[in-house]
Amino acid sequence: MLTIGLFLAISFLVSLAGLAALIWAVSTDQFSFGQKQARVIFHEGEEGRLDDPTAGSAPTDTERAAIDASTAWPVSLFLGVAVLWLVLGSLFGLVASLKLHLPDWLDGSAVLTFGRIRTLHLTLVIYGWLSLAGIGTATWIVPRIFHTPLRSPRFATWGAIIWNAGLTAGCIAIASGWTDGEEWLEIPWQIDTLLAIGGGLAVVPLLRTAFARSVEHIYVSGWYFLAALCWFPALFIVANIPGIFVGAEQATVNWWFAHNVLGLWLTPLGLGAAYYFIPKIIGKPVYSYSLSLIGFWALALFYSQVGIHHLIGGPVPTWVVTLSIVQSVMMFVPVLAVAINQHVVVARNLWAFKASLPLRFISLGAIMYTLASFEGSLEALRSINTVTHFTQFTIGHAHLGAYGFASFIMFGSIYYMLPRITGRLWPWPGLITAHFWCVVVGFVIYFIALSVGGWLQGVAMLDAGRPFADSVILLKPYLEARSVGGMVMTIGHVLLAINVVSIFVLARPGSRNGALA
Amino acid sequence: MNRSLPLVILAMAILAFATVMLVVAPKVQIGREPAAAGLKPYTTEQLRGRALYSSLGCVYCHSQQPRAPDQAPDAERGWGRASIAADYAYDSPHLMGTMRTGPDLLNVGARLPSASWQLTHLYQPRAVSAWSIMPAYPFLFEVKDRASPGDRVVWLPEDRRIPGKVVVAKPEARDLVAYLLSLDRTYPVPRSAIRDDGYSRGGATQ
Amino acid sequence: MTTDRESVDEAFEPYEPKRRVPLPVYWVAIALALWGALTLLRDSSADRTGAKQRIAEATTLERRQTATGSALFAERCATCHQADGTGVDGAIPPLAGSPFVGASPGVIVQILLHGIEGPISVNGSDFDGHMPAFGSVLDDDQLARLATSVRGTWGPGGSISPGFVATERARTAQRTSPWHGGDEIATTLDRTIGVQPAYLPAPRSPDDLTAQSIASIGKAGGWSCASCHGSHGEGRDGVPRLAGLSPDYIARQLLAFTDGSRPNDIMRPVAQQLTAADRVALGRLFASLATPSSSHPALEGDVARGAELALQGDDRRNLPSCFSCHGPSGFGVSPNIPSIAAQRPSYTAGRLAALARLTSRQPGSIMPAIAGRLSDADRRAVADYLATLPPSPATSSKDAR
Repeated sequence: MLTIGLFLAISFLVSLAGLAALIWAVSTDQFSFGQKQARVIFHEGEEGRLDDPTAGSAPTDTERAAIDASTAWPVSLFLGVAVLWLVLGSLFGLVASLKLHLPDWLDGSAVLTFGRIRTLHLTLVIYGWLSLAGIGTATWIVPRIFHTPLRSPRFATWGAIIWNAGLTAGCIAIASGWTDGEEWLEIPWQIDTLLAIGGGLAVVPLLRTAFARSVEHIYVSGWYFLAALCWFPALFIVANIPGIFVGAEQATVNWWFAHNVLGLWLTPLGLGAAYYFIPKIIGKPVYSYSLSLIGFWALALFYSQVGIHHLIGGPVPTWVVTLSIVQSVMMFVPVLAVAINQHVVVARNLWAFKASLPLRFISLGAIMYTLASFEGSLEALRSINTVTHFTQFTIGHAHLGAYGFASFIMFGSIYYMLPRITGRLWPWPGLITAHFWCVVVGFVIYFIALSVGGWLQGVAMLDAGRPFADSVILLKPYLEARSVGGMVMTIGHVLLAINVVSIFVLARPGSRNGALA
Repeated sequence: MNRSLPLVILAMAILAFATVMLVVAPKVQIGREPAAAGLKPYTTEQLRGRALYSSLGCVYCHSQQPRAPDQAPDAERGWGRASIAADYAYDSPHLMGTMRTGPDLLNVGARLPSASWQLTHLYQPRAVSAWSIMPAYPFLFEVKDRASPGDRVVWLPEDRRIPGKVVVAKPEARDLVAYLLSLDRTYPVPRSAIRDDGYSRGGATQ
Repeated sequence: MTTDRESVDEAFEPYEPKRRVPLPVYWVAIALALWGALTLLRDSSADRTGAKQRIAEATTLERRQTATGSALFAERCATCHQADGTGVDGAIPPLAGSPFVGASPGVIVQILLHGIEGPISVNGSDFDGHMPAFGSVLDDDQLARLATSVRGTWGPGGSISPGFVATERARTAQRTSPWHGGDEIATTLDRTIGVQPAYLPAPRSPDDLTAQSIASIGKAGGWSCASCHGSHGEGRDGVPRLAGLSPDYIARQLLAFTDGSRPNDIMRPVAQQLTAADRVALGRLFASLATPSSSHPALEGDVARGAELALQGDDRRNLPSCFSCHGPSGFGVSPNIPSIAAQRPSYTAGRLAALARLTSRQPGSIMPAIAGRLSDADRRAVADYLATLPPSPATSSKDAR
């Protein structure tokens, strides 16, 4: 017992010491950077101007044009396929949602059973939509902040092809019943090697570009992207090695991985994009650049240890659960840092929020990051977890993070990037607004339904006097509301897809704008 | 923050540290515990059923980890005592789950030991519980004119019967039921047991 | 989508050259670090509490196993036979001077192992004997200590060894019913006991065969009773024990499942298949089963507290003792008051919780009101205690009591 208690104390102390050292270093100005470095994202003349490609305004810059040209092909591939997976993934999600309150619908075959449809939804939206959109965005932003063209773009292209081949094979495997059986890790490990290779290939160009950069400073988005792209392959490989872990050990690996997919993969990809696009679109640097340093390193220190809060009250050692709870709550620190940085600059420039649709998606996503993280910290508390664990509340929370935060930021990023990449304007600007309102309204319905329903479900299950059936019966109307929300969200995704396909295939006369390239 | 190599190295070091805490240390601690004395390894039939359980995604709605009485009334619902790490010694993949859209199943073999009930319920859950939202699994069954010798006929309440036909369990359904009935961790807890005791109040009456 | 937006905000907002970390970030970091340290401390004590609890449970079980013979008597026998062994006039036979205690040592051991169901005569008085069987709740060691103590206090004395108990247990291992009154004991085990009243078995009706078939293979292909409740009605950890419940109680519950007044998804479809005659016959069948107990504490309840509640109740909470209504040792008294002894703890606790919820809907009814006053820990304590009791004696005429 003593050794374990010690172990736990050490881990927490190490994280605290890390945080203290960081705060000390920042406040005593040990790193020489501040607002000057925050401006590395602007080329001359860009600062102080709204930069919104959905309206077709951008200054001409030959260096930037060469950089964007180097990433155009792989990034188009990443983004295009990501949107395809998004539409497919949300259709599966919708079917799964409908099946929960129409259980006798489509019950004739194993492929269509809830357990497989739901898995396909998760796999497609996480490894198809969010991962690919994130890698694409990172691949596009990294050369821009390093002011140099992408090195070895072929690696990125091949990475995309192999990743997608692996994902397709994985989905076919899951649909036909071949699965590794752990949540978030259902794709058979044999097929996972393809994803690992594809992901590894996609990292190479970014690392090479980082080493060849022509500016001294690495902008904050670069920290997030570089770290995420190194973290994810490591996580993915460790979690997929077969035959080492069994039973309760396997559960800790499972949740260490699953939460790190959010914390050390989707979150840094989303935050990196937000850190680039928010100041870029508004034309003003973030509020306090040195604060972003705390945000980044505290995220690494605390987020990496939160996974076992998925096993609170479960058959794993008390100390590891407690460690994850404490670190979950410590996440307030990096979240606060990011929130101050991103929200203050938007709040001071609300005109830009109204004017730019990409910014609206992205800064709304950033707000939902703050909310999701705070909610997540609270949900890890034993007193709250005992109600919300095992209920739909968790599903609502997961969507606040993966959808409200990560997907919203990716929507905005796509709307910003594709006109730059293709040199064309969005063919149906009205659909962007429609998409925005669909996903906002749909998601509000979705989130409120699951949060309220899930909470009531949890309260019912804790009451020994109420039969289990009560928790199911009371949930049904909320599940129906969730389907409505999900349907509206899916409509929004179809609108996005229409625009994305159109911008690639429809060369509308006059839309080609040299200034955009 | 101006050099990429130290950035990457430090970031990976932090992840490695987290991995030691969340993966390696629990593995060492749990790995030292022997399998619980009353726990039997799965038979081949049960393992086939277990694979089906995992491929049909039962885990997304059914947890397999009853909580301690200090935290939740799981035991009073008949879901069994709080589970410990040694209860899962033969489980791979683990199927602890994180949802209770349906009830916990770690002790369903003790709670609902009737194979014929399980078959009816798998064929059409709403034949048993009108409120249930569990998927039906008709594809694990065959509808025949009459049963052949050796067939396992599924009993259905009158309103669910198909006139002139019988419903017979396919081997998959029987495997799945064999697995479900093997879920029984009602043996006593060894003195040294690993689980999250964070809700323990020392048995005090509140 | 106007294009004049690019000229918005010409005036560039002046930034400080260096922006400090806002103070609230420090405060939050420090507050959380303190909270984290406190949480670690609190949870490490919870960790120890949990481990202690498990060890305490194991040692309580051991202590119960190593209790002395007189302690076992006080706990297991004195509620009926009284602490001084005088019994209760006309209801419970005395031990002092009883020919059964004075007979050869095999007699007391056999009575403890299998119990008695039927008339017996002690010291000139006749009793309608309902002695529970302890064979399934006490091991050979405990039975040897208990028998030695009883014979030492009220009989000829002498020591009974665990080995002797084991031999006696093996000799009658095939027995599935209690001893049918004093007559069977005297004629089979020891004729020195003297003449005993004759045992008249309850008449069997043709419905009993139907009931057997429903119980073991089910009605019209439906699920059988045995497939969940076990082939002897012993129940499983999450399934109630039926053996030894009163026949009327069982029949009444089956009817309640059928008409939905006792909602139960699992029982409803099978109960709906039964006729009134089936229900009565099934009640008789399960009431007549002398099945050993296989219940054991399973809810981490405080068994000592459970015993207190069952035997004395708790005045501070206005809780009457269980046994004041459910009869001594919880064997049940009338068709309305079921046996609760040797019941599965999860079933008992679950029923108590469900009853507690009825308080608001059925004001004035007794059990919901009492259950409503039980805390969660008390429910578990009493359920775990009742699981350690010997099963109520099987009977076909108990409702006549």
